[in-house]
Amino acid sequence: MAYPYVSDREVRILSKYFGDPKQRRIDTYVKRGGYGGLKKALGMAPGEVVDTVKASGLRGRGGAGFPTGVKWSFMPKDTGRPHYLICNADESEPGTFKDRELIRWDPHQLIEGCLIGAHAIGAQHVYIYCRGEFFETTQVLAKALEDAYAKGYVGEDILGSGIKIDITVHLGAGAYICGEETGLMNSLEGRRGQPRVKPPFPAAVGAFGMPSTINNVETLSIIPHIVTNGGDWYRQWGTEKSPGTKLFCVSGHVNKPGNYELPLGFPLIDLIEDVCGGMRGGKALKAVIPGGSSVPIINAEEARACSLDYEGCVAVGTMLGCASVIVMDETTEIVKQVRRMVDFYAHESCGQCTPCREGSAWTAKMMRRIEEGRGTEDDLDTLMEVTQQMVGTTICVLSDSVAAPVQSSINKFRDEYLALIRRGERVGAA
Amino acid sequence: MSDVPFKNPGWAGNTGEFHLTEEQVRGKDFVGERPKHAGHASGSATMPYMLPEKNPDAKLFEGDYQERFEKILSRYPTKQAALLPALGLAQELRGYVSPESMDRIAELLDLSPAYVRGVATFYTMYNKRPVGRYLVQVCTNISCNLCGADEVRDTFLSQTDTELGETSTDGNFTVIEAECLAGCGFPTCVQINSEYFENVTPDEVPKILEHLKRRGGS
Amino acid sequence: MAEMVKLTIDGHEVEVPKGTTLLEAAKQVGTLVPHYCYHPGMSSPAMCRLCLVEVEGAPKPMPSCVTTVAEGQVVKTQSDNALGHRRGVLEFYLVNHPLDCPICDMSGECHLQDYVHEEGREHGRGREPKRVFGRDDFGGDVLFYGDRCVMCTRCVRFMNEVEQDSRLTVVERGSRSVIDTFFEEGLEGTNWHGNIVDICPVGALVSKDFLHKARAWDLEHTPSICPGCAQGCNIDLHTRDNLVQRLKPRENLDVNGWWMCDYGRLDYEWMNAGGRIEAPLVRRNGAPAAVAWKDALTELADAARSMGGSSVKAVASPHASNEDLGALATLIDAFGGGEIVYRGRMAEDEVPLRGYPSLARRRDLTPNARGAELFGATRVGSADATGGLDDVASHDGVVIVLGDALPDQSADFGRDAALYIYVGQRGTPAAERADFVLPVTTFAEQEGTFTNVDGRVQRFWPGLTAPGMARPAWLILGALAAELGRAVGPARTAADAFTAFTGAVAAFEGLTYEDIGTRGAVINETVSLTGDRV
Repeated sequence: MAYPYVSDREVRILSKYFGDPKQRRIDTYVKRGGYGGLKKALGMAPGEVVDTVKASGLRGRGGAGFPTGVKWSFMPKDTGRPHYLICNADESEPGTFKDRELIRWDPHQLIEGCLIGAHAIGAQHVYIYCRGEFFETTQVLAKALEDAYAKGYVGEDILGSGIKIDITVHLGAGAYICGEETGLMNSLEGRRGQPRVKPPFPAAVGAFGMPSTINNVETLSIIPHIVTNGGDWYRQWGTEKSPGTKLFCVSGHVNKPGNYELPLGFPLIDLIEDVCGGMRGGKALKAVIPGGSSVPIINAEEARACSLDYEGCVAVGTMLGCASVIVMDETTEIVKQVRRMVDFYAHESCGQCTPCREGSAWTAKMMRRIEEGRGTEDDLDTLMEVTQQMVGTTICVLSDSVAAPVQSSINKFRDEYLALIRRGERVGAA
Repeated sequence: MSDVPFKNPGWAGNTGEFHLTEEQVRGKDFVGERPKHAGHASGSATMPYMLPEKNPDAKLFEGDYQERFEKILSRYPTKQAALLPALGLAQELRGYVSPESMDRIAELLDLSPAYVRGVATFYTMYNKRPVGRYLVQVCTNISCNLCGADEVRDTFLSQTDTELGETSTDGNFTVIEAECLAGCGFPTCVQINSEYFENVTPDEVPKILEHLKRRGGS
Repeated sequence: MAEMVKLTIDGHEVEVPKGTTLLEAAKQVGTLVPHYCYHPGMSSPAMCRLCLVEVEGAPKPMPSCVTTVAEGQVVKTQSDNALGHRRGVLEFYLVNHPLDCPICDMSGECHLQDYVHEEGREHGRGREPKRVFGRDDFGGDVLFYGDRCVMCTRCVRFMNEVEQDSRLTVVERGSRSVIDTFFEEGLEGTNWHGNIVDICPVGALVSKDFLHKARAWDLEHTPSICPGCAQGCNIDLHTRDNLVQRLKPRENLDVNGWWMCDYGRLDYEWMNAGGRIEAPLVRRNGAPAAVAWKDALTELADAARSMGGSSVKAVASPHASNEDLGALATLIDAFGGGEIVYRGRMAEDEVPLRGYPSLARRRDLTPNARGAELFGATRVGSADATGGLDDVASHDGVVIVLGDALPDQSADFGRDAALYIYVGQRGTPAAERADFVLPVTTFAEQEGTFTNVDGRVQRFWPGLTAPGMARPAWLILGALAAELGRAVGPARTAADAFTAFTGAVAAFEGLTYEDIGTRGAVINETVSLTGDRV
């Protein structure tokens, strides 16, 4: 049975078994070749595994797009100190819902990826940090983990190789900032989830002060496939700099929202009009956010020119981020949506750095005042300057994320702001 | 309002072409009954839940919960790292994290009470005050907002006769706004205690509330 | 030999050890980069974002408190870029900061005022209502004005890392975050919490004792040594109208770091207390008569010369300076010899500051017991500084009391003495039978030195003018000794007095005021505690 909407343009590697509840089980997983990648990896030296991933050109799927193989190679060798692999399942970026689907439909894929990753970086312990709201999802994951322990895929002497790897599922407690890698590590250690200054980097001083690597759920889920099929296999899709497939989370005003696994470099307009069945109600496209709320908004014209890979998005003035495509039609009130996003950041700011703590709250108040029709044209200049003061001056990039929607919307949808300011008019739906 | 021809899966009732049951979508058919005794230290029972039945005077910890707490401690190299799960476990029992709970957890983990307060108040999901049996968290962030989340929230408020953050007079419901719940493809996403309800539309709200009132656990 | 790194800061080339932060390196070219959360005594979270500087080649401004030097780095702290970033950060600080300057104790010594004046925007453009937290009593001596807080978390980190009693925390997150204690637990029972008022860069944490007492710009600062215990923390006396308004610690990495304990900090009222003897008193016909110094000393010298070989029993005070005690010892020699005893309060326990080496509120609650012993005095009496004076009280020779107010002694004290000289600050019933009552200064009114528990000699300066005709004891007793023929050079300054009167003690040999300076100097270690006098 097909997972709600499936397009024949998809290349379903990760999402092949979405929607099929029988495929969660370990016996069906093994039957379709599951844990074969693990077997192969255990027979390879850790360095070889790293090289395979490097050869594939896989880039981190959590939003930063840093080459995974390179990240793994940063881990120190032979220090005698415990290494940790941390799986970032704190999926809180607005618009993103792929990790939840990956965990609840194919948990063993993730577990296998964690095991291979741990072997590659010399870690004996893996922490899968799930956001606190994922009660049901972690029940699925924990059950799969118990089965994997029972069958000897996790724990002591895995498959007779003599290698020991433990996996722990850890629930967060409701903080977007814990999706930031050092914030996550602090939260894992039982502290307030505030990001740390880098340097030192996690590979030097990570969780519990030990060398650690953090990878996204999607990144780790693809690892078994890469190890099984080889690095070059992955490069048959995507572009030179952005190889492979990506789960695109499409939400908003399309007919068929959902997760679609497509090769990187896929044209954005095709995604909207073909794969997702076009705009709902036949309305016109107004704006798209291609990478989750932290990247700049692009208008319809830019969307038509945008190809969904890391470089392609930069070329039209935005970023791919975590590939969460939020589609907005002509009935959208841009100012309201930007205000809601800024409210989100103000709510989720950890409060350490002054530009973010004060700036996000101030920006939210200004946006609210403009939305209520009490704004002035000077406010637009103030917003541009104030958000620019928030870029590059903080420990993490939540601060920069406030600037992205505000600045891009003022640049591209200025008339909507002005309509509210001059006439108290809300453009779009009433 | 969305006028899609058919809906995505998620329990809000009609799943259109998608023939999974609620148990299958939630994974309950795979997980089964939530185990009372913690099996593996990383097993399901050590994960905290949000239950409708709460006991603010429950001891921290005894019986099954003490076993769970010990399993949790064994998962980390430091006692401090068990703080978030321990607070979650205390909240599962008592319904919220009170100053007394913070003090007790501090004692159990050799931390100072002020430190535990700092950590507990950092995270949104630790309730600082008692809430209703069902905590209704409506996502109003952008993806759900574009698809009518405000209406869903307002319908919950009017159907439960509460203001945001208040508990209904019968003690059953507290309605709050939540940030993105990672169900953006199935707008509007609502989390009630530990369960996700996806594709919620305003006319389904009364059905959901009835369903909750009728059944016992979460 | 530390590896050195050469870099350029604001056009000046400097060479510093590897691992130095840019902020510390910038100090060497005379630039103090504005900062809040950084403090040399604690960890550096780099979260205030105020210390941003421009580093050539770096894409973003760098926080200078944690960025370490690199060979050939070119750093600009005053470029348009750097100033622009800091101006932006300062604007964010002002967005929610209340305009409390007219009623805020910190005004005049506030880092926010100073930095905004130097580098901030001229006009504010925040039109939104500010968030309000109100005032919170943290217990102890501390009041917290939440609205003024800049969330540098220095106070939280001090309690966690230095006092090592985690009483403070940040509650909530984002712009709702505020400093708080664990509900009503507060800071009660901590002993070093006064330091968080010092390190708070704005007026968020204020001292209840000092609340609305004096304006910072009216205060004069005088370097001194805390007289509360034998640790000898370096302090400043802050005075106005010839009254000590408060005590603040002074940095000395060898003694107290940047800290002082609450007990010593709040014990200064006695320095302002009245009831002082204002003129030298000579007993004539059974009643004391006020006379001029010259007359008093002349009469006293005559009386002393007629004592012949009488032995002296003296009571000294461990609150007296080395110079005072040295002069007393010299005077006793001039009489032909004698014994000195002293009493001082002892606490039941020591209260260490765990996060700083060798720093504690010591059991010995006097500043110069070590000095007293080096000059040959013996401790007598109980832990509350009473008793132990029966021999002295009934002595039939010369009785000299220096600085001890004899609160537990009766009016019969010294009734059998051939000559009873009381040298002190305040009148006391036990001085009723004194032949001569000579007013002297407290440590706050004179220059001098104390010797702390580790044998460190430290200088203090006068912050108050002495009342009436009171003079330093070393001047009076030294003049008297000179009259009796034991002239050890006419000591007219404290520096001369130090060299003159301590020169006889091997432990102090060779030390001068220049050596001691403002940081102190440790005495000759080979000398035993009871003081070998040459």
